[in-house]
Amino acid sequence: MKTKLKYLLAGLITVFGLSAFAGFQKNPTLQSFKVLENCGMCEKTIEKAALKTGASKAEWNKETKMLSVQYNPKKMTADDILKGVAYAGYDNEKYLAPTESYNNLHECCKYDRVKVKQTTYLPSAQTNSLANSKPAQEVQNKNELESVYNSYFNMKDALIRADSKTAAIKAKELVDALNAVKMNVLNTTEHNAFMKFLPDLKTDASKIYETKAIDKQREYFSDLSNKMYEIMKVIKPSSPVYIDYCPMYNDGKGAYWISKESAIKNPYYGSQMMSCGKVKEIIK
Amino acid sequence: MSDIITYNRRFLILVLILRLVFVQTSVNAQNLVRYDLHITDTIVNYTGKSKKAIAINGKIPGPKLEFTEGDTALIYVHNHMHHETSIHWHGLILPNEQDGVPYLTTAPTKPHSTHLYKFPIKQNGTYWYHSHTMLQEQVGMYGAFIIRKKESAQISEHTVLLSDWSDENPNQIERSLHNATDWYGIKKKATQNYGAAIKEGYFKTKLENEWKRMHAMDVSDVYYERFFVNGLTDEELKPEKPGDKIRLRVINGSSSTYFWLTYGGGKITVIASDGEDVVPVEVDRLIVGVSETYDVLVDVPKDSISQEFLATSEDRIGHASVWIGNGMKQLANPLKTLKYFEGMKMMNDMMRVNGNMRDMGMNMSLQQMDMNAVMYPEIVDQNKNTEHSEHGHDSTHSDLVTLNYAMLKAPKKTTLPDVPVNNYHFTLTGNMNRYVWTMDDKTISETDKIIIKQGEITRIVLTNNSMMRHPMHLHGHYFRVLNGQGEYSPLKNVLDIMPMETDTIEFFNSAYGDWYFHCHILYHMMSGMGKIFTYQNSPANTQIGDPKKALKKVYQDDKRFYSSAEIALESTGSDGEIAFANTRWLVQTEWRLGLNDAKGYESESHIGRYLDKKQFLLAYSGWDYRYRNSIESEKNIFGQTNTKDKRGVVCLGIQYTLPWFIVADARVDHTGNVRLSLSRDDIPLSSRLRAWGMLNSDLEYSAGLKYILTKYISISSHYDSDMGLGAGLTITY
Repeated sequence: MKTKLKYLLAGLITVFGLSAFAGFQKNPTLQSFKVLENCGMCEKTIEKAALKTGASKAEWNKETKMLSVQYNPKKMTADDILKGVAYAGYDNEKYLAPTESYNNLHECCKYDRVKVKQTTYLPSAQTNSLANSKPAQEVQNKNELESVYNSYFNMKDALIRADSKTAAIKAKELVDALNAVKMNVLNTTEHNAFMKFLPDLKTDASKIYETKAIDKQREYFSDLSNKMYEIMKVIKPSSPVYIDYCPMYNDGKGAYWISKESAIKNPYYGSQMMSCGKVKEIIK
Repeated sequence: MSDIITYNRRFLILVLILRLVFVQTSVNAQNLVRYDLHITDTIVNYTGKSKKAIAINGKIPGPKLEFTEGDTALIYVHNHMHHETSIHWHGLILPNEQDGVPYLTTAPTKPHSTHLYKFPIKQNGTYWYHSHTMLQEQVGMYGAFIIRKKESAQISEHTVLLSDWSDENPNQIERSLHNATDWYGIKKKATQNYGAAIKEGYFKTKLENEWKRMHAMDVSDVYYERFFVNGLTDEELKPEKPGDKIRLRVINGSSSTYFWLTYGGGKITVIASDGEDVVPVEVDRLIVGVSETYDVLVDVPKDSISQEFLATSEDRIGHASVWIGNGMKQLANPLKTLKYFEGMKMMNDMMRVNGNMRDMGMNMSLQQMDMNAVMYPEIVDQNKNTEHSEHGHDSTHSDLVTLNYAMLKAPKKTTLPDVPVNNYHFTLTGNMNRYVWTMDDKTISETDKIIIKQGEITRIVLTNNSMMRHPMHLHGHYFRVLNGQGEYSPLKNVLDIMPMETDTIEFFNSAYGDWYFHCHILYHMMSGMGKIFTYQNSPANTQIGDPKKALKKVYQDDKRFYSSAEIALESTGSDGEIAFANTRWLVQTEWRLGLNDAKGYESESHIGRYLDKKQFLLAYSGWDYRYRNSIESEKNIFGQTNTKDKRGVVCLGIQYTLPWFIVADARVDHTGNVRLSLSRDDIPLSSRLRAWGMLNSDLEYSAGLKYILTKYISISSHYDSDMGLGAGLTITY
């Protein structure tokens, strides 16, 4: 009786062993799909959403925005995974996320939704400002503040690279450029706006020059960007600029910066969180 | 996804041949439209497991049958199965013997035989057909029945036939429901257990709920693996004209699932219900009851995008989608999981301890006040948000327009002739715990047919005193729903009635023969929730033979016994119970077997009958046998002495379910010994953990825990004052 039981057990173990082995043998499908997201923050959420659908592996690449998944094609399809990812809020190759899920994403992760249904996703005021791209505003021959703006952008680029030395040099250039502005070229409103913020701009820029610590530089840069924005609203740069917003900086209080490109490159976190942020406004 | 593999080669060949033979022939001269329906047993694989099902012409759902008003339908039903079947033409006005209710109106289609249905098509709209035999509808026997108007409308259209699928054999589903399984609750994450109640701050609610003898309630009872639209989880529709409207003919062909309909691409315009046109009404969403049909218009997206027409099961565990448009798929907002404890709280307010419902003076009717709304996150959370937050720019949900019956208006007057009116008041009743569903506390077989006279009006006031909603369907007639639209009251053949609602319907007695009026939730109908209207002086129905014999067959459905068992195999021995029960009767035997003579063996067998409407009271008689090899005799708390040494007694007793589901049992045996006991089973501690306890006047007691592994197997442990502490497995069937 006992030996019989033994055989039975041995048999059972073989059966289970074989079936487990067979499980490994099943060649799981590996595929990659484009999944949109703005900063690296949501990497985990995307991967989690994919795994929740039953995928055995999911990796999202920040740089390429590609999600690589592994799954058992006998049990599910790639569609199931992409649907799950879209339900979590992320548009991808096959599915666009439900509006509610998109709206629930962290500010930082909100990518620009493709042209599709742009009218619904942007608040109406913003849509107008984009649509009525006011026909060629009285083109100013040459912008007196162009060199100021350029210094600012150079400094910002240095901060993106977390290069505090170059940032300091560019800050110095900014101070010089500010001092070189010919007030008489500006009209009254421009003059008033410029004069209002000039002292603060100079202080912030000097501080960035004096301190060598990147964290401090970024702190001053945040204030400086706000002032610079106020001026740019009045004295428009020659080419469009993008007002970007990082909702995470300063313990979630958020901070603005200005960029010439539409692509998000975060000067507050640099490579740590390069694409955290969102275009809030475009000045043209 | 849906591979239909026929049973064997023979069938495969048969089906191939039949497909060749199956042609829709229309003989123009007489407007005869012929269809051949071949019913076969089949194997389907929707979830990765092969399961038995029934196909019509090799498909699930069956083919869409299309007619034009004025045609004559000639439908040959070929039954290739080894068991009988039938087809009921849902919503159609036809001669009684064509209605397709086996034994009541129509001869059943016997195995390997053919039945011919022939009837004139006197109406137009969206209808469907399904088996009216046992539970065949659940496993695939349904299809769309579309009748076009003579003047065809120039609008593209599509039929959306919704259904539910479970991998489980429907007979097992039915048996499990009658045995109050909570396996479906576990699968749906809806056990509403004490652990979850405490965690979410609803302990008092749960306690009160059980005090009022209510088990965890859900909006539906069965766990379904899949929901389908035309047999698919996702169907793609690429209309030719973007920006146009498309007419969707929505049919709920499910066995027990209500569906919420929402559309990502805009509003939904309801233009017909149950086949009859209504004045178009624009809504954000609507619920379509089991067996109801709605015709709706939706926009085809202009841009290169595919919008989701979403049918979500009422319990929100799944959905099926129709993708409308060409391009990327834009998901519609999903309906989030129900807040069960909020629903429980509401139920507590509505339920009296005696098991009757009270509407708290709200005069509810016509789906206008959806009490379940307290469970809908999209409404509850939205209301919270708008109260607390300043940026309430997304206030879309608080003004969601949901269709209700009061919004339906007939485009033409529907007034009935001025003839005598016969009034009836029916109360829908039910016992969730034993899954007995009734009208006026009586099953179909316990009620006499209701005799009506041709040329008169039948007016029915319906009150739902049960805790579930019921889609009440009348065969062969349209009824007017008296919904405040006066002369323009809409015509329907299914009325969804929510708990505590009272609605009035009326119909003109224009036919002859016997007609069913029943709840269309398959498992409710089978348990006996319905009535039969019979026309006075009807001609004899040649299809059903001896009417008395035939009626017996009809009544058999709700008289059946369901078996159940719970067998514990533990280190101290075996405890167990096997039972057979139907609407009123319970036959049961239980045992406690020790490992040796000293521990003893006992068994008790009873036959009992439930006496009261709510089925809390059971009277029984039975026979006990005990054997234990010990000399001492025992005294009970009444000072009576008994020995368990080889004792056989005959006993009489009663059981009453007290609040909090404590079952009090009092019995006396032929020697005069009295025993009182109190017990409580299945206290849901967590999703899968159950506790129970028992105490009796012989000073025996026991208590145990059970952890549910699968539907049939649990790990269990209990302490018994006679047997001691044991642990092992419990098999629940």
